[in-house]
Amino acid sequence: MADGAVMLLQAAADSTRAYGEFPVIGARAFVWITAEVHLMFAAFVLGVPMFAVVTEAIGIFGGDERYDRLSKEFTRLLLVAYSATAIWGATLVFGLSTLYPRFWAYLTAIFAPSMWVYAGLFFVESFTLYLYYYGWDRWKKGRAKLGHWTLGILLNVWGTVVMFIANSWLTYMMSPPRDITPTTDPTTIKLWHAIANATWMPINVHRVVANVVFGGAIVGAYASYRFLAARTDEERAHYDWMGYVGNFIAMSALIVLPFAGYWLGREIYQYDQSMGITMMGGFMSWLWVIQAFLIAVLFLTGNYYLWIGMGRIPGAERFRPYTKWLLIILVLGAIVWGTPHTMIADSKELAAMGGSHHPLLGALGVMSAKNTAVNLMILTTFLSFLLYRRANTRPVVPWAGTGTMIQGAMFAIAAGIVLFYGIRGYFVEAIVRIGFSVYQVLAVLACIVCVTVIDILMARGAQSLGAIRWGKMPARSQYALFILAVTFTWLMGLMGFARSGIRQYWHVWQVMQDTSKYAATPALGYASKMISLCVLIFLCLVAFVFWLGGLAEKSTFVAPGAGDEGGGRGDRHVGH
Amino acid sequence: MWVTNLKIVGVVLGTLALYTLIANEIPQVQSEVPQTLTLGTNVTPEQLVAAGEKVFNGIGGCTTCHGLGTRAPNLLTDETGTGPIGVRCGKREPGKSCKQYLFESLDNPTAYVVPGYQPIMPVMTKQLSPEQVWAVIAFLESQGGTVDVTASDIPSTTSTASSTGGGGGGGGGGLAGGSTDPKAIIQAAGCLACHKLEGQGQVIAPDLTHVGSRRTADSIRKKILDPTSSIAKGYEKLAGIMPKTFGAMMNAAQLEALVQYLAAHK
Repeated sequence: MADGAVMLLQAAADSTRAYGEFPVIGARAFVWITAEVHLMFAAFVLGVPMFAVVTEAIGIFGGDERYDRLSKEFTRLLLVAYSATAIWGATLVFGLSTLYPRFWAYLTAIFAPSMWVYAGLFFVESFTLYLYYYGWDRWKKGRAKLGHWTLGILLNVWGTVVMFIANSWLTYMMSPPRDITPTTDPTTIKLWHAIANATWMPINVHRVVANVVFGGAIVGAYASYRFLAARTDEERAHYDWMGYVGNFIAMSALIVLPFAGYWLGREIYQYDQSMGITMMGGFMSWLWVIQAFLIAVLFLTGNYYLWIGMGRIPGAERFRPYTKWLLIILVLGAIVWGTPHTMIADSKELAAMGGSHHPLLGALGVMSAKNTAVNLMILTTFLSFLLYRRANTRPVVPWAGTGTMIQGAMFAIAAGIVLFYGIRGYFVEAIVRIGFSVYQVLAVLACIVCVTVIDILMARGAQSLGAIRWGKMPARSQYALFILAVTFTWLMGLMGFARSGIRQYWHVWQVMQDTSKYAATPALGYASKMISLCVLIFLCLVAFVFWLGGLAEKSTFVAPGAGDEGGGRGDRHVGH
Repeated sequence: MWVTNLKIVGVVLGTLALYTLIANEIPQVQSEVPQTLTLGTNVTPEQLVAAGEKVFNGIGGCTTCHGLGTRAPNLLTDETGTGPIGVRCGKREPGKSCKQYLFESLDNPTAYVVPGYQPIMPVMTKQLSPEQVWAVIAFLESQGGTVDVTASDIPSTTSTASSTGGGGGGGGGGLAGGSTDPKAIIQAAGCLACHKLEGQGQVIAPDLTHVGSRRTADSIRKKILDPTSSIAKGYEKLAGIMPKTFGAMMNAAQLEALVQYLAAHK
């Protein structure tokens, strides 16, 4: 485009109103709240269908109807949650178009076609949901049931595509292609060029995994509420089991999440190192200390729930002495992970520390130590699952002893590799050190996969030491599930702030500057209040959704004994 | 059931309160938008000192070495019993006022190297705008001395120019007026105050003439943005001297231009 035309375009843009104002709380807070709550509901309506379709599949292929009913119970909640998602989404669009009209015009100039596809897919997704839910009892047997399950898969496909489209808009704001400058006419930008930006796919993958975690956590919280409110032992047993399944799915996906996050962080650095440094070593450096604290809470609470749960499993006593060692590793890992390294400090603080890094803790704040800590925490959590899974069984295959030794050796080798590269990382250049984390991750993943395969093979025909006493859980275990759900939700808000905040005073990084009075990126204190408010709004609305779900239909719990005898198939649920 | 409900509400609110409390207890750092620093004819000493403090603690990168008394003289509290810089600056060079001494120290740092320290300071007048330089001088004078910097000290040609006043980062304006000419960027950033390139500059830091044969473009980029990420062999003692602020001073296009220019120096 000719310079003159660009100038005319800029002049036209400048003459339009750039920003609106929202009473009392201000424009930024309004958009912040609507975007965050919309995102939380969106994660809910994307995470729960993943949960539903997996549990339905277990019900179909495992022959356990409880999973099918569990799946239906959650799909029912989706109907109201979809409406809430749409309402908050529409409010967000109104907010953006009235409070940030110039920025919104810029985005629509590039992404308009994808926005229409988004709206169309939302319709398709909604109707698929209606078919999925209302067809549940009609398509219950044989091939019809498989067709019904396919609807569930399609529901997830549409939802994921919708999320990918929305992700392209926000990742473009973070990492617009390098050839796009402030003078680039947005109407000349190719749609796919803008969509396929540097952070799009890492965010997609990260959010898919995070949604599974979130869905599992919310299911766990729902089950824990129903457990605490249960009037009969049977009902309590059902919701105890449901809470376990939710927690299992959440924690399993959580183990993968740091790897997805690492990939995203690496892409951010590769796209623009100054953005990466702002994120990890600049004004956001303290955010990662908070994140480490939250993840420590997740690991500790998730493991705590498992350890308490072993109290209701006959035969678990033999593993109990190990839990204190697992706890020690988790606590030490959390302390190392939470050690700050690079922070903004004034001259007095620098003088007090005796240098830019604390002499003692500076060594623990580097990525070598942190990667080592988090990988060992993941291995420890996996070991907790393994002990829980094996608690009430005794393998009878002739190679059981050898198999257990091989599993132990795999843990030792994985931990050794993690420690070796963690220590060696101190003696090599940063670029080499970054590569070491890949070896650490691969060692942990290989251990998890191989040990699980061996365990499944070893469990064939295993001798039962007794049925799990579902429902025999102390109330504090259920509050642990609530803490998990609140922490996951809060963490989602915090990471959203990090992702958005590293753009600082740019609507679109180094392309479109935020010139509003809210351009400065607030400190963590203010952000934490906003996050807590959003979490509270979301949880109140979710509680309302759950209550509505209870009004619409009675709970679908089934008493143990209906096809579930002690030590039989029924108490060998997911992960157990 | 009400008791259970209240307990659940308590757990939820307690968890939220705990996280909010912790996040409010840690150091609060807000990322400011780079402010336009216009020092008009009516600028007061207080305004100069405030602006100078921001530059000193922010974009100037001064705290990397000064203030600790290890890599460079302590300017803020005390240096071997002579007090803060505002007290001693007027006595450092006979016949030079505090203001003159400080300006020359920033403009030609190797002229007055304090015994016991190495000549590692870059030429700050190439890194900062005149307004920022004079604001820093006012701030340093205020450390135990009298501020006598006035608007008349700031060159009139730049009195209406704008510059970034610290904080923020990732700025879009960039050095050398946003020019993507690598030589202009090198000149404006003051790289040659420490490095040598094509026969020009100092040899305090590694010679950049053949840097492209030692480092890849990625490595050069990372080194500029995070100077402590890797230290050239033989220069370990100078680790941490190179300012970390270049990433914030250059825009993305400038950084890329500089990286490619240096990488081509095989």
